[in-house]
Amino acid sequence: MKRILFLYGLIFLAFGACREPFEPEIDSVDLNVLVVEGYLDSDGSPSLISLSYTRPIQDDSPQLVPVGGATVYLENSASDRFPLEDLGGGSYQFEQDINEQDSYRLRIILSNGTSYTSDELTPIITPDIVDVGFERNEDGVEIFLTTKGDENADDFLWMYEETWAFRPPFPSQVKYDTASKQVILREPDERIDVCYKSERNSDLLLETSSRFEDQFVFRQAINQIDEGDERLSLRYSVLISQMALSKEDAEFWEILKKNTDDLGSIFSPLPSNIRGNIRQDQNPDAPVIGQVSLGKIRQKRLFIDLREVVPWRAEVPEYFGCIQEPDTVLVKDYDDYFRTGRNMPTLPIFVGNGFEPIGYRYATASCVDCTRRGTNVKPEFWEDL
Amino acid sequence: MNFSKILLFVLFLSGWSLQSLKAQSTQKISGFFAGVSFDRFAEKVEEESDYRFFYDQELLAETTVNLQAEESGLEDLLETIFSGTDFKFSISSDHRVFITQGKKMTVNFARGYFEPRSTADKGSDDSGNSSLGAFARNMRFEIGKDNQDPNKNTAILSGTVTNIDNGSPMLGTVIFEKEGFLQAITNEEGNYQLELPKGRHTLFIQNPGGYQEQRQIELFGDGEFDLEVQESFLSLDEIVVNSGALSNVSKLDMGVQSMSMSQVKRLPAILGEVDVIRGVMTMPGVNTVGEASVGFNVRGGAADQNLILYNQSTVFNPAHVFGFFSAFNPDMVSGVELYKGSIPVNYGGRLSSVLQVEPKFGRSDKIGGSGGIGIMTGRLSLEGPIGEKTTFIVGGRTTYSNWALDLLDDEAALNGSNASFYDFNANIRHEFNEKNQLEITSYLSRDEFGFDRDTTYSYENTNLAATWRHFFNDQLEGSLTVGYDGYEFGIVGEDNPLNAYQFNFDVNQLHARADFEYRKGENHVYKFGLHAIQYQLNPGTNLPFGEESIVIPEDISDENAREIALYFGDELTISERMLVSYGGRYMFYQIYGPMIVNDYVPGEAITESNVIGEQTYGAGETVQTYHGPEFRLSGRYTLTNQSSIKMGFTTMRQNLHLLSNTSAIAPTDSWKLSDRYIKPQTGGQASLGYYRNMASNTLEFSGELYYRYMNNLLDYRSGANIILNDNIEQDVLNSLGKAYGIELLLKKTSGNLTGSLAYTYSRSLLQTSNEPSVEKINEGRFYSSNFDQPHHVVLVGNLELSKRINTSINGNYSTGRPVTLPIAKFEYAGSERVYFSDRNAYRIPDYFRIDVSVNLEGNHKVRKLAHSSWSVGVYNVLGRSNPYSVYYTPVDGQLRGYQLSIFARPIPFITYNFKF
Repeated sequence: MKRILFLYGLIFLAFGACREPFEPEIDSVDLNVLVVEGYLDSDGSPSLISLSYTRPIQDDSPQLVPVGGATVYLENSASDRFPLEDLGGGSYQFEQDINEQDSYRLRIILSNGTSYTSDELTPIITPDIVDVGFERNEDGVEIFLTTKGDENADDFLWMYEETWAFRPPFPSQVKYDTASKQVILREPDERIDVCYKSERNSDLLLETSSRFEDQFVFRQAINQIDEGDERLSLRYSVLISQMALSKEDAEFWEILKKNTDDLGSIFSPLPSNIRGNIRQDQNPDAPVIGQVSLGKIRQKRLFIDLREVVPWRAEVPEYFGCIQEPDTVLVKDYDDYFRTGRNMPTLPIFVGNGFEPIGYRYATASCVDCTRRGTNVKPEFWEDL
Repeated sequence: MNFSKILLFVLFLSGWSLQSLKAQSTQKISGFFAGVSFDRFAEKVEEESDYRFFYDQELLAETTVNLQAEESGLEDLLETIFSGTDFKFSISSDHRVFITQGKKMTVNFARGYFEPRSTADKGSDDSGNSSLGAFARNMRFEIGKDNQDPNKNTAILSGTVTNIDNGSPMLGTVIFEKEGFLQAITNEEGNYQLELPKGRHTLFIQNPGGYQEQRQIELFGDGEFDLEVQESFLSLDEIVVNSGALSNVSKLDMGVQSMSMSQVKRLPAILGEVDVIRGVMTMPGVNTVGEASVGFNVRGGAADQNLILYNQSTVFNPAHVFGFFSAFNPDMVSGVELYKGSIPVNYGGRLSSVLQVEPKFGRSDKIGGSGGIGIMTGRLSLEGPIGEKTTFIVGGRTTYSNWALDLLDDEAALNGSNASFYDFNANIRHEFNEKNQLEITSYLSRDEFGFDRDTTYSYENTNLAATWRHFFNDQLEGSLTVGYDGYEFGIVGEDNPLNAYQFNFDVNQLHARADFEYRKGENHVYKFGLHAIQYQLNPGTNLPFGEESIVIPEDISDENAREIALYFGDELTISERMLVSYGGRYMFYQIYGPMIVNDYVPGEAITESNVIGEQTYGAGETVQTYHGPEFRLSGRYTLTNQSSIKMGFTTMRQNLHLLSNTSAIAPTDSWKLSDRYIKPQTGGQASLGYYRNMASNTLEFSGELYYRYMNNLLDYRSGANIILNDNIEQDVLNSLGKAYGIELLLKKTSGNLTGSLAYTYSRSLLQTSNEPSVEKINEGRFYSSNFDQPHHVVLVGNLELSKRINTSINGNYSTGRPVTLPIAKFEYAGSERVYFSDRNAYRIPDYFRIDVSVNLEGNHKVRKLAHSSWSVGVYNVLGRSNPYSVYYTPVDGQLRGYQLSIFARPIPFITYNFKF
């Protein structure tokens, strides 16, 4: 269906179709609908519930409106409470191994006294991920996953977090020390030549295993890394979380997906009203967005090294226009060039058999310092080849 | 001799006679008549001479003729025959012989005694108005003597219509009086006779293949009015005498709009493709949700509530390429008629309207053809006689190539994309004899498109029907039709050999119908008949494609049903002013096995969790039966010669539903038959209208008011899945609908400038019914349907600059259609998401578009290999970007609103048409 819409877009282009920004006049009502998101792990691994409010559609500020200071706990059928810890920023952490045969409700009490209760939640035991892998194809690299559903787990939601190592165009082991006015070697924790960057996926990956023979979901595409992407320029890792969903959960995620992906083309379906499994106690008809689930989360990590996908020529838009200046900055000019930090020394220049460099080539800091785009702290899970 | 009998009777009644020449003819009769009946004698004489006899056969049944004639005058012979009887005869100047009993009929009056005054006015030229030329239509002819029979309100007008060029009589010319809807047709001798109320009239004279002439008369009494008209060879296109246009005031039906192909062809078209459905959309009360949807909405009804008939065949998808073009080849259509108010009793099965697309049949004189070359498509048709009694027409249309897509081929994404379609018609008409006629119509269309190498979409319409028409006698005629209609849609996806699939659904129906029309006396027209439809529907199948594929075959079980409808209706003339039509249909519908039906907790919402079991029905076992009546009632009351009021009430039932979760008809929308949980849609419409003709009938005005109610409509719960859903009843919401509105139409039908201006105010609302359901849309309140566009204005203008050049303009304004807008946003699962308003709480911007076109005819030489014409024009000449839809989408994690327009700039077009 997506392709139809896409191509239609193009046909229309040929016929003079056009897409223009649309800013309708909508009453600026701050709806302040509570949004609850989270999949709680029943096995004791840390998992999060996040609370926020909706913002008016015209609101340009990019940040969330988190709801802090709420009391959040899980309650089993015997009314035993399993509290969640307020981490601030609207996040509440759950870290308890609970009985998977019991049923639970999530309760949220806001600081203003409004309280919310979820429908009954039964932990779903997600089956293990059978395999994750990747394939080099003409467009780049496709990461896929194979899994098998069972009688309890039919619908699946996958989320993933990617982390990749990268180098700036002009790696440098040195730094200019303003105190001694010397270029000195960097300490290991000051390295700016290899960094790591992480990103959570923003698309929704849903599949129903009963669509396939023996509920065997074979090589489900998880992510596509396009040719030339920086993510494979050194080493790449992806942690895929597999979550089994109940029928109601799957419906919620389907609606969310439909509301996000399918809207706005010629034959798009009607937008659907999204709610979830949380009700306000004071007014059960008040809208609340969010489908909270409970169950075992299964994870698998995959590493892909540059050597497995060569040739891979990374083209990083952020580094377009980076050049190493042809001039050498002599020792006496260090302060003039490097004091502000705008330029950074890169290559040492030696003369003859000299032991000390007579100066350094240099480049703009953004082309040298990778910490401007990532962190130089190697993640705990990181395994080098 | 029946005719002569009647004429004689009439002559007696009115004491009216014909003028004659001074000199009697000198034609001589020869022959031997021994004891022959007078009939035989008359026949013989008529054979040998140009005398024509008018007498009462019964009166002369006893009379025998015994004589031998040799070059005798008829007068002498008749003297001999009637000597000794009280039969009298008279012979008129034009060799008519009138035989009467007792009193001799006066046929030779003094000159000018009974001549129409008009002739007296212009001297010796006794009736022909040829010398007046073009002025004849503006002159008022006074006919009859005003002191003659003052007690009678009506007078009889008669005369002869002859060809202005060679004086030969014109057969089959229609003399038409507009206000009273009275007409007469000339016989072989060009004679006609018409009884009219005394007073002023405008007569329209239409001879086949010629121009329409017009004469103003003032009728004082009985009189003769001869006409000379031009036989025209100018027209290259058919001229359709449009009953709809001529009888705004007097016809019975209301809410009926018709259009001839010549009118449709003058409308500016998208990319030059003449499109009957776009023609229909210029009529008041017909809306569309957007430009790329041929699905149209009539009086607040959904697109699947329109019955689209090509002759007697139901066309399920009337669109090519998702709705850019209509599926009908303009060369294979003679006209369209849309019934949106009182739907005639012989149609049924859909809730909103009937669009009758009249097929074209082949010409009988010679083999000919027509075709056209446009930007997108080429078409060609061939027609003509096969033998003496059979005619045929075949026509096809196809896209040339994927040029439009080829232009974009640089875009890597479009590699391997294509879009193509064709359609094909073949119609045959065979006349066994005067009383029996056979018509076969067929239609086939196919669309195929793919956007990359991996996925191919296709759909196909197939229709075949045969109609046998039988004229039992003057009063009764009947027709028997059998046919097959099919529609099939498919997607083949080969993205990954392991997941390659082949999805398709189809709908098939076999139908048989018998229709009869019986005219009883002057006051009744009975219509009755029987329609039977056998449905076979495959709601969806998904199969693995290729050997490697591991896709599980999914097959939603087929649905089988039968529908039988019996109908009866009567058009009753109560008085000259009042005409009513009443009738009804009784529809019987049965869906039968093999089928598995879920049982749900009674009185609870139909959801998966409420399933308590299932029932299995064997082949042929009845699963569910629905039946019920439909009523048709309409009436017309003439206020004055120029105005009338009409009203109607119609109820309808519909068993076939289109499942569509989008606002336009998308080809992926599939069909569904009524079953245990999805009930037949029912509805009713009451309408009231006022009709008035103005400015000597050149301006027609109509105003119609309507109110509709609908039950068992389908809307969908949030997240409904309509494809490959075995339990679709769990995803639909039983809904009620209501629609009301007023339609005003002003139309100028003659002159160089013709056109119409239509304004519609209408509302169309839905409400989730109070049956138990999982979701009540907008908390169970009434909400706007997807096609609730209150204001709609359509202007159509056509200016004939000369016989060869005419220009057209088409303007269209409507309120934007309702949409559900995002009103808030929130973060969820790593991206910004939107929260939507109530269903259809907002509207997209209003729609406004103007198109212009010029049609150029080639020269009009009769002997030419082919006649050609050019159409050039511009669609959306203002280049206004009318949004088709609006949507919000995350771009780089930020939510942005966009409006999508389909034809956002002026689209020029040019088409070359030819005819040979």
